[in-house]
Order: sequence, then structure tokens, then C-alpha cells
Amino acid sequence: MKNKLVRNAGREVFGTVLMVIVALLIGAILVVLSDNQPGEAYSTMLRGAFGSTQKITELFVKLTPTLIMALGVSVAFRAQLWNIGAEGQFIMGSICSMVVALYLPVPIPLRMVIAFAAAVVAGGLWAGLAGWLKTRFNANEVITTLMFNYIANYLLLYLINGPMQDPYSDLSQTDLIPDGMRLAKLIGTYRLHAGIFLMLLVVLIMIFFWRTTLGYRINLVGQGEKVATYSGIHVKQTVVVTMCISGAFSGLAGFIETFGINYRLLDGIAGDAGNIATIVALLGSLNVYGIIAAAMFFSVLLCGGASMQRMTDVPYSVVDVIQGLIIILVIAKDTAMARLNTWFGKLFARKEKEHVE
Amino acid sequence: MWSEVFSLGFLVSLLAGTIRLATPILMPALGQIYTQRAGILNLGVEGTMLMAAVCGFSVTAATGSLWFGFAVGVLTGALYSVLMAWLSVSLRVNQVIAGIGMNILATGLAAYIYRLIFGIRTLPAKIVPFQSLDFFGLSKIPYVGTVLFNHNILVYIAFALVPITWFILEKTTFGLKIKAVGEHPRAADSKGISVSGIRYAAVIIGGAYAGAGGVFMTIAYLNMFTESVIGGFGYIAVSVVIFARFTPGRAMWGALLFGFASALQVRLQALGSGIPSQLLLMLPYILTVVALIFASKKAEFPSAYTIPYSRMER
Repeated sequence: MKNKLVRNAGREVFGTVLMVIVALLIGAILVVLSDNQPGEAYSTMLRGAFGSTQKITELFVKLTPTLIMALGVSVAFRAQLWNIGAEGQFIMGSICSMVVALYLPVPIPLRMVIAFAAAVVAGGLWAGLAGWLKTRFNANEVITTLMFNYIANYLLLYLINGPMQDPYSDLSQTDLIPDGMRLAKLIGTYRLHAGIFLMLLVVLIMIFFWRTTLGYRINLVGQGEKVATYSGIHVKQTVVVTMCISGAFSGLAGFIETFGINYRLLDGIAGDAGNIATIVALLGSLNVYGIIAAAMFFSVLLCGGASMQRMTDVPYSVVDVIQGLIIILVIAKDTAMARLNTWFGKLFARKEKEHVE
Repeated sequence: MWSEVFSLGFLVSLLAGTIRLATPILMPALGQIYTQRAGILNLGVEGTMLMAAVCGFSVTAATGSLWFGFAVGVLTGALYSVLMAWLSVSLRVNQVIAGIGMNILATGLAAYIYRLIFGIRTLPAKIVPFQSLDFFGLSKIPYVGTVLFNHNILVYIAFALVPITWFILEKTTFGLKIKAVGEHPRAADSKGISVSGIRYAAVIIGGAYAGAGGVFMTIAYLNMFTESVIGGFGYIAVSVVIFARFTPGRAMWGALLFGFASALQVRLQALGSGIPSQLLLMLPYILTVVALIFASKKAEFPSAYTIPYSRMER
């Protein structure tokens, strides 16, 4: 039994790695088509990711929000709830913690705690709302969470151009948060900050989360409404709670990025983080360890990709295409592998038959 | 300024804008009626539209022919959706994830194609878009002419597709087969209908319609391509289909409703209403959520909605 589990996991990992390699190879073709050397492109990418101590610390800067958000997304995905609104939840977390940081007149340490809580709660409620709309009105959560992304983005734009705009600047941004509220830098002037400990804490929690009653309930909901109802679970309640937890992670990531990196609200703070969280969660097969590995791979891909764009003539969109290919190949993987297996199986069966005859 | 809002001029430009902005939602929504009726939820419409927008635009920029660009846009939509059909019908993967994957891939591919063809440039590439028709002077009729007879040809094509789509779905064998594989694929299969064949067709037709909507944005609404040119219209179209309970006529009203929200936003901004533009820009997206809330309970989804069909499984 144990052996079989290990073998299955091994096959799963092998398939995933194979698909990532295929995506990178197709990426290489695109690099060639844009009149560049794929070898040079990928080696620039690697040097951009691992070339110096500073670059390696940048990998962890990227890893922190990516991993937290991907783990958050995976909570919902396990329950077959397709929360693709991580971006909006990240933004709402950033906004609410920033409001606390700039305007709440309480001592700094207390303000820090409230800002943290505000981010987590805001992210959670923004996703939880979509969960509630699903249970109450049967509104498809894919569309609602996505629409919430647009709404959160425009809310952010409104705030940084209006009520929250830095009074001493014409730029679309808020004032900086007080020095005492910034997450401490860990190594000299490098951007790596104390948020990484929050990430480790989240990972630790997630490792044990799936063994808790709540984790078990969420998995059961993912097995289908019938299974969950027969097991005596309040499906609707679990759906809303699951979405809240899922969004809280992204809200937390918003807090970490705002208080560790940006120190203010800007346009495009979330970047592509929501999509990346989705891809990482799926690439990691919704499994904590798988997601950690996938998030590390993506940190390399993103940091390396950014430096590839600076150093060579290769368009950054190649990195985006690779991301898209990875997600499609990974979901096609299971069927493709199964087909390959039966095909090989038939081949061997025929050979054995010939042998007998 | 509020007196201006209630003036006739404002109303006329608002209604004209409504019809124009309903078009890029109406086309993909009509197409998705085929797809969803056949039991497949293609969330990849957004990406399909984006691919069509960039390919159609590029061809028009290269050849100078708007109709050629339009045809390529439609073709691109059909071809790109083959990927969705393969994933959802042949590989039977989760359709939601497949759709999201298609959209992420399209974001990268569209930016890559644009960069490959047009290079890095300070100003975006531009074309001369489809011009408004005037119907032998009918557009000169005060008010009514501006609202109804002063659009480009693609707008009229989109609205003409409403009865055509209805006819195909309700009055032809093909339409009947689509509904059969969406409601009861096993029964359809036992009657000799190729479930996967019909589903492939339904997804590809949906893709072609989405392609038309996507290319409309770059060669008939704007005259250039940007990465955010579709801006959620694909997702809005999917929710319009649910809102319309899978019928072309109601989809038209749904699209007009969203066109109205978009046009209202544009007009109020142009007027300098004092309402911050960012809040106005939220309008269509908020409306989508509200529409979904009101429509989803009542909507009768096809029985085999998002469920892959396999002969071997019961």
C-alpha cells in the first residue's frame, strides 16, 4: 500500500516535470522565432535568478506572496470552488491594512496588529462574499470572483487618485507608512524582509491544516455535494468558510507586500499574482509540498524572466506563454499519461502474446 | 451638469453607444449559447476574443483590408477554441480550469504576437476602422437616425445573428442535436448522434462568434490593439448567457443592458459628471454580479452542463 502510494506520487511528479520541460521547449521555439538564441535566453534567466546573493534573496521576496496566495487558492480548489479572485483579495487586503496604517490614531504596535487583522479579514470577506453569493443565489464563483478583481482594481485606482492620494505628490500613490510599521529588512539593504517568517508560519499551518476536522470537511465538499451531505456536513456553511480562508491568505499576502516592499499603495500592486497563484496551485497538484516546489520554480521563472527581458531582446511575453502552456499541459497530463500507459500496456500485452504463441 | 444628463442629446448619444457597446458582448454571448447548450462551459472565451483581436488587427494592418482582418479574426476564434474542445471533450478535463488556462495562455500569446509583428514602439500601431453606414441618408433623421442607423456594418451583423442563431438552434436538426447532447448525451449517443462531434462543433462555432466579437474591438470599435482591449467582455458574455437562460432573444437584451452600463460610463465620463471615472468604470462589472444574482436561481442549466461524456462510464 505504502509502496503504491510512493510509486503513484513518483509518477505524478515525473509527469509534471515532463510537462514543464515540454512548456520550456515550446518557449525555446518562441525565443527562436523572435530572432534570439534560446540557450542564451535560458542561461540569462538562470543567471538572473541565481547570479548573486542579492538575486537569490530576490527569489525569496517573490516566493513569499506567490506561495501564500497559491496555498490560499488551493484551499478553495480542494473544495472544487474555483476562486480565481486572488488578485482582488490581495488588493482589498492591501487597501484595508493601508487605511489602518495611515489613518488610525493608535500607538504603532497596536496599529500594526490591527492592520494585519484588517488585511486578513478584508481578503477573507471579499472571497467569502463570492462564496455566499454562490450558496445563496447559485452565482458562479468563477465569474463573481473575477468581477470582484475588476471592482477591487478600480477601487484601488479611485483611492490612489482621490481620497487616499499622497497630498504632497501628483503621482497616483498614497503617502508612505510610518517607519516603525515596515517589516524589518533581514540582510543589509536587500529587499528580503521579515514577511518570510509569516510565509514559513503559513506553510507550517497548511501542513497540519488538512489533518484537522475543517480540512477534512473541505476535502469532502470537494468530493461533491452528495457525498458531503451524506456525511452530515453543512455544505453551504463550509463553502463560505472555505472561501473566507482562501481569501484571507491573499489578503495576508497583500499585507506582506505592502508593509514589506512597497510601503504605500500604487497602481498595479497585485501585478499578475492572482493568475500565478492559480497556476502554482494547480502545478503543485493542490498538495502543500507540491505547491512549495511549484512556487519555487515560479520564483525562478519570474525573477529570471524579468532579468532576461532587461538583458536580452527576448520579449517578456514568452514567460507568460510558458505559464499558460504549463497550466494547459498539466491539466492534460493525467489523461495523456493514462493514454500513454494503455498504449504501452497494449504494446507489451501483444508482445507477451506473441511470446506465448 | 445634471440638466445635461436629462437632455435629449445625451440620451441619443447614450442609446447609440448602448447599441455599439452591446455588440462585442452580443457576438460571443450568442456563440456561447451553442457551446453551453451542448453542455460545455467555455470560460476561455475571454482569451479566444483576445487572440482574435490581435490576429485580425495584425492582418488588417498588414493588408489594409478590414474584411480580411475580420475573417481572420473569426477564423482565429474558431481555431483557438479547438484547444478548448480538445481539452474538454477529448481529454475530459475540468472545464473551469481549462478555460482559465486558455485565458492565461492567450494573454501571453497575444502580447507575443503583437510584439513579434509590430516590435517595440512608442506609439501603438493604428488602422482605419470600419466606418459608420448612413443607409442612404437614414442616419440623417434627427435622433432616431443617430441611434439606429449610424453604426458600422459589424453592429448590424451582430444583431442579425440573433434571429439566425435562434433559427439554427430551434428549427434545424443540428440545433436539436446540440440540445440533445447537452441534456442527455447517453440518449443522444444511443440514437447515433456523435456526442463528441456535436460538442466539438458547438465549441468551435462558439469560438468563431467570440472571434467576431474580439476582432470587433480592434478594427471596428477602437483602431488599435492593447493587451486589455477585451477587459472582461468574454466573462461578461458567459454571464449574459446564464442571465438569458440560454436563449438568443434574451441574450440580446442582456447584451444591451451591459452595453447600456458601458455607454453610460463612457458618456458620464465625457460629460465630466464629477463622479470619479474609476467608480464609473466599475459599473459593468458590478452589473454582471447583480445580473448573475438575479438570473442564476431561475436559470435551468442543461442537465449535462460541464459534465464530460464517456461511453464507458455510467
